[in-house]
Amino acid sequence: MTSPVRGTTGTASPLSPPPEPRPSGSPSERAATARSRSGEKRPFLLDFFPLETDRETRLSRFYDRLRQGRLSTTRCPTDDLLHWPPRVACPKCHSEELTWVDLPERGRVYAFSAVLVGAPLGMEADVPFAVGLVDLEGVPLRLFGRIEGKPWNALRLGETVRVEPYDLGDGRFFYRFRAVP
Amino acid sequence: MIARPVALVGGATTRFGVRPTTWSEMAQEVGAALFRAVPELRAEDVDSLFVGAAEPERFAFQSHVAPLAAEQMGLRPRNILQRTELACASGQSAIRSAYAAIAAGLSDVAVAVGVEKMNLPSMAEANTAMGCVMDRPWDGASGATAPPFFAMVAQRHMLEYGTTEEQLAAVSEKNHRFANSNPQAQFYEKSFPREKLLRLPLVAPPLRLGDCSSMTDGAAAVVLAGEEFVRRYTDSPAWIRGTGQYSDFHNLANAGSLTDWVGLKQASRDALARAKITIRDVDLAEVHDCFTISEILEYEALGLCPEGKGGAFAADGRGEVGGDLVVNPRGGLLGCGHPLGATGIGQAVEVYQQFAHTVPRVRQAPDPEWALVHNLSGSANVHSVMVYQRGGSS
Repeated sequence: MTSPVRGTTGTASPLSPPPEPRPSGSPSERAATARSRSGEKRPFLLDFFPLETDRETRLSRFYDRLRQGRLSTTRCPTDDLLHWPPRVACPKCHSEELTWVDLPERGRVYAFSAVLVGAPLGMEADVPFAVGLVDLEGVPLRLFGRIEGKPWNALRLGETVRVEPYDLGDGRFFYRFRAVP
Repeated sequence: MIARPVALVGGATTRFGVRPTTWSEMAQEVGAALFRAVPELRAEDVDSLFVGAAEPERFAFQSHVAPLAAEQMGLRPRNILQRTELACASGQSAIRSAYAAIAAGLSDVAVAVGVEKMNLPSMAEANTAMGCVMDRPWDGASGATAPPFFAMVAQRHMLEYGTTEEQLAAVSEKNHRFANSNPQAQFYEKSFPREKLLRLPLVAPPLRLGDCSSMTDGAAAVVLAGEEFVRRYTDSPAWIRGTGQYSDFHNLANAGSLTDWVGLKQASRDALARAKITIRDVDLAEVHDCFTISEILEYEALGLCPEGKGGAFAADGRGEVGGDLVVNPRGGLLGCGHPLGATGIGQAVEVYQQFAHTVPRVRQAPDPEWALVHNLSGSANVHSVMVYQRGGSS
């Protein structure tokens, strides 16, 4: 479960995002033509990555900040509680008055493994790839994610990694970790 | 309030494996097997049907499977018809729901069936289905499926307690050996000595192929009855004496300790307390060995051994016939395969047959009176437990 925190890093801002310029085409058109980096076109229901704009999710602020290189999440001021993943209602007090905060960009690997076989659609070309749980520096959050920058069998427990945005190549972004050399 | 006693009065499974057959055909096949196994059962006796099916939309491109299963099995439910979905525990969910309905007086005789068709022409599509068991737009998008998650559990257990690959292999060797006595098992008549297991390719390090249960097609069904109907069908009922369930997270970020399965501790404590027994009374356990490391953590969380000693429990043979209790005698998920919706029901069929002494002697628990069945689902974020007592009287 999420844990209470005393004091958080980063800046707070209202959950509701400001209006933003819209890409051309309707959201459904954009989704239907979404292509991965390899150029492969996947139907929405075979695509692990979410739709990210404010037409599709109330968490579009997360992806907007990610595009700027900032990993962020929501915080409940009432409970002083950091959430992961970001939310629209606090799981503790059910308040919908949440704020956005930036998260530290560095962390340490708590556990890791690698996908050597059995990757889902759209990830087969990435095999082998490392995944792990990373304790972010200074906040009580342990995030799961891909770990790049080293072969899986060169990674070590406790290794320092940093978060970076990952460009899906179709206007969408996700996050990954990268081993710090 | 004293709930009405409920018992399993019979059950059957299809062959589990890579089957050249469809979801609907397996539902027909298990229906035929069930009516053969419970000769006194008439279709019109069955007033309710609970269908355990984890992902028929993904694996068989089919929704609304409860009436589909009813039609395949030749049943016309008149009280309660529903599908139960709890990923890897969908089968046990069907049994728990049937139990609740009968205990509450809303049903007298119910069937719980589980069906899963997992082998597809494209393995990547099947793996995609497994990936959306996780919190899909977060963990799934990062490439999480079951093997890398349970691999991290194994890595932490090795770090914290010194558990070894050899101890993992001991679990796999036992369950595959038991599966050799079970013609319905996916790995029937396949030999997996420990030296061979330790040389199999890595799937998600440190887990190797032999540490992982398989993608499996299969179906299983049981009949449950309220106490005044039980004797119509059997002289060896398996009475449901306790259940427990606990869930404390879904996103992997909120898993807490990977090696302390508090959810299983809570669920088993509740189920055993409701049955008014302790884990020491249990003669037979069907536990959710989706991976070898899972069975090791289950020994610990169930209180069969101290924290961190699950590997030694396996290596010392304490889950064998002649050990502390018999664990996974039908061959477990490792040996039988793991057709998600059918697994929990296949485990219950084994309990029924163990109580009736109708399993081969090599896997028969010595005169068992109490059995515990456990399923986890997803990333071990839900634990479901049932406790059965051999009848006797109600």
